[in-house]
Amino acid sequence: MARSQASPHAARFYVVLIVLFMVGPFVPLLVQSFAFQWDWPNLLPSEWWFTARDRARLPLGWDYVLSPYSRLGEAVLNTVLIGSATTLICLAICLPAARVLAREDFAGKRAFEFYLSMPLIVPEAAVGLALSVMFVRVGLAGSYAGIIIAHLIPTIPYMVRMLTAVYQGLDRGFEEQARVLGASRSQALRLVTIPMLLPGILAGCLFTFLVSTNLFLLTFLLGQGKIITLPTLLFAKISGGSLDASAAGIALVATLPGIVLLLISERYLNGLNQLTGR
Amino acid sequence: MHLCRSVLFVAAFLASTTAVMADEAAAGFQDQILAGDMSWDDVLAQARVDGEVQFFYWGGDDNLNVWMDSVVAPAMAELGISLVANRITGTKDAVDLVIADAASGRTIGEGSVDAIWLNGENFYTLKQQDLLFGSFAQLLPNAANFEWDEADPRSQLNLRDFGTPTDGAEMPWSGEQYVCSANRAVLPVEQTPRTFEDLQAYLEVNPGKFAYIKPPHYLGNTFVQQVLYAFNPDGTGATPFQRSIEGLGAAELARLAAPGFEYLKDIEPLLLGGPQGAVRYPEDAAAAEGLFRNSEIHINCGFGLYAVATKRADGSYPQTAEEIIFPAGNMIKNKNYLAIPANAPNPAAALVFANYMSSVEAQVTKLDLVGYPAGIDPWKLDPADAAALEAAAPAHYGVTQDELDDNIAPDTNASLVEVIEATWLEYIERGSSLPLEEIVANAVANLAP
Amino acid sequence: MPSPIWRRRPTLQRQQVLGLLPLGVVMIVLFGGALALALLQSLGFAPWLGINSFPDVSYFIALWGGASFWWSLWFTLYYSLAATVIALVLAILLALGLTRAFPGRAVFGSLYKLPLVVPYAVGIALAVIMMGNGGVLSRLAFALGWIDDPAQFPLLLTTNAGWGVIAVYVWKQLPFMALAIHAVLISAGREQAEAAAVLGANRRQIFREITWPQIVPGIVSSTLICFAFNMGAFEAPFILGGGFPDTLPVMAWRYFNDADYTLQLQGMAVVVSIGLVAGMMIAVYLATYRRYERSLGRV
Repeated sequence: MARSQASPHAARFYVVLIVLFMVGPFVPLLVQSFAFQWDWPNLLPSEWWFTARDRARLPLGWDYVLSPYSRLGEAVLNTVLIGSATTLICLAICLPAARVLAREDFAGKRAFEFYLSMPLIVPEAAVGLALSVMFVRVGLAGSYAGIIIAHLIPTIPYMVRMLTAVYQGLDRGFEEQARVLGASRSQALRLVTIPMLLPGILAGCLFTFLVSTNLFLLTFLLGQGKIITLPTLLFAKISGGSLDASAAGIALVATLPGIVLLLISERYLNGLNQLTGR
Repeated sequence: MHLCRSVLFVAAFLASTTAVMADEAAAGFQDQILAGDMSWDDVLAQARVDGEVQFFYWGGDDNLNVWMDSVVAPAMAELGISLVANRITGTKDAVDLVIADAASGRTIGEGSVDAIWLNGENFYTLKQQDLLFGSFAQLLPNAANFEWDEADPRSQLNLRDFGTPTDGAEMPWSGEQYVCSANRAVLPVEQTPRTFEDLQAYLEVNPGKFAYIKPPHYLGNTFVQQVLYAFNPDGTGATPFQRSIEGLGAAELARLAAPGFEYLKDIEPLLLGGPQGAVRYPEDAAAAEGLFRNSEIHINCGFGLYAVATKRADGSYPQTAEEIIFPAGNMIKNKNYLAIPANAPNPAAALVFANYMSSVEAQVTKLDLVGYPAGIDPWKLDPADAAALEAAAPAHYGVTQDELDDNIAPDTNASLVEVIEATWLEYIERGSSLPLEEIVANAVANLAP
Repeated sequence: MPSPIWRRRPTLQRQQVLGLLPLGVVMIVLFGGALALALLQSLGFAPWLGINSFPDVSYFIALWGGASFWWSLWFTLYYSLAATVIALVLAILLALGLTRAFPGRAVFGSLYKLPLVVPYAVGIALAVIMMGNGGVLSRLAFALGWIDDPAQFPLLLTTNAGWGVIAVYVWKQLPFMALAIHAVLISAGREQAEAAAVLGANRRQIFREITWPQIVPGIVSSTLICFAFNMGAFEAPFILGGGFPDTLPVMAWRYFNDADYTLQLQGMAVVVSIGLVAGMMIAVYLATYRRYERSLGRV
């Protein structure tokens, strides 16, 4: 019996190794963000930011990152705003559709479902470049509305899948019982359906928000440099393939929303497991 | 029902944003100001009506960003204009935006770009496509800070941008000179190269310890141009490269450029990564600085007359970096400019902005905080202002201002830059086996119409 | 013509049609519109640029006739496939490892998901700081006395071998795949595997006969998504790739960014080509998978 399974020690060794690969590189990133001068082959900076900052005339390292000059605050705000708006609109259009998809059978349903999952397999570059041509024509390029509308495309497949799964798990009998017992349609929705759907809806929203906040190419192509989000701000900083202290700081801040979402999901939503659509 | 209504709402919203109305007020303003029928006070008043200026500039320099937000934006706010400083990764992005706006029929008052920080090819593109606001530079009050007299050779930097006549369609606002720096921790003074031959000799002893930025990045183009000047078979340096491609002709350009390109091919195995069999050209200035910090390269080149002072101070250069005179006699010096597109949404505010940027006040703070050389001409200023400008200049390390001044060369004509850049990509990067004349001829034939 | 009773599908009521309408409109106008536009433009339809030679396959002919397109296609496929396969192998092992009980499993079981929730650009930043010739790995190699100059460190970034690009994809997608697989393993339970072990099956047999059929649907869907994403990804190959020949999305972007606007049509031909290649690969993959499912008698 013991020989038929990998030993816990081997399993643990491997898991730790993978986690080290996943999380370990954040350590030098943190060091870099606090470094003033950190040259090859030193394993630690030869001068740290906090000793150099006194003689600097302009904000240096974290002073720059956390100052309004870095536009980091604006990027965080835009990221959250676009993510929230995308999530709400996505939810509003996917919820009624998911209800029908979960409960009804109709001609062309499989084709429609396949079409809904197509954004997952059509390259982002194709959608992004075509949309940018389209949006420049209709005046949506460089606007919040344009970016939010574009963000719907890659988020819809996930939202539909997760909400459909939620509706499938919900016995429609509950709603009908409520109606039989005299509840109006809106009461049934408010008092019965929504509370039962809520955990699934929250998981769907969380994941949609996550996808939106991580999108780069669509925002980059449609924002025209006028609307910056965390991914585009960071891209601009590192596009040459180098990383200075302020870029490292911005990369760390760009990691924070994800960490918050991860903590929330681990604590309340059974750890993102719903995203696999089961 | 609700859904019906929301669909209608979205449709109405889409329709409203797509409607583009001709802006007659902006068109009238353009006619009046260019005809000289408008006082500066009227422009200031109109700028307050505009309320904002959409400025696009390369946002890769933290120091410049701080200056823009902490000095320029408040100054513009005092004039009743809110500065929207859009940071872009490449100046071309803003030019593209202007062209895309124009292609969808947006004219004066309707576009999305009021002012762009640019020079060279990007100005040439806008001018060729006839997408510039008009001849405004000499109408601004601060035009007095510049030498416009063609009899004075020093006026050339204000009148010509990479050989293209500026025609007042852009305002000079910053100067630059291509300066290389050596890391004295690894490169002693006595081994410092002065010429490209010296560089090659140095690299034979220290293979892989130099890199230039990859064309078509303008910093890479500039390096290549300097090589072409130095190896000009007629010994006339930069002179023939001032002519446009129409005047010079592809065959003549190929003849003039051939020895330079031979040199670039010869040194390739000695450049960064060359000894390991995979030569690497850094993508931009930040990447090259990273290589310089880690002593992967011993010499780093780029525009930046005071780069050593500012980059030592912010940690992006090693504390042992010093300026060097290289390539002697061929250090390209130019200016960069603020251009106003023909479809600027807020043309009056753009003019007020350009005027502020060429003021003594802006130039002194920029030189002091960012270390970008003055774009205005000191001999046109009153003595107190000229002294303030001089006092604001950061220090030099290892060389003097006179030595730097003695080794300047002009930029290459913008119409040649594109050809040279395409030739580099084909001949050096792709290692084409075609003869150089043919590559140059193809590049000329492929020029964008 | 009345359809046979067993084929009849209920028609939707007005209410239900309304429910599908907003989503359908958005997907058809936006997504369908974008695809149609890409296709039209790649076939010579761009009247707003003063070009309309539709239908015109010359852009595809010019593109497919050049050697650089095929090199770009090769690199795009190589990065996408290599990253997907490496991430998949590591993810299966990780998911299996996480089914074992060991001290600290809860913490590690959460930590590995971190890359899933951060932008690709962060992964690129980490690749730059770790894998560059002046990076942390190179410095460790110096500390260990293996090299004494950064140039001696093997070139991992900005090379067409694509180590950096692949590392970023693996870093970001490994958790995604592991999560999908792990969820199946948890819900399937270990009873079957334990029963098989009691009956004398060895580890390889248990994996092949029991675990693998359980996890294969999750593997197919997650690898599909990751592979398709990699085919169209821009920022990692743009920053960490080896330059010419670029991957197809970077190539398309360069065409779009060219001063010569007519090259946009060429760019669209590149974009459509990516879609065609990805679509064909996915179709073959799904067909193979369906045959496998049929062999298991599950379809």
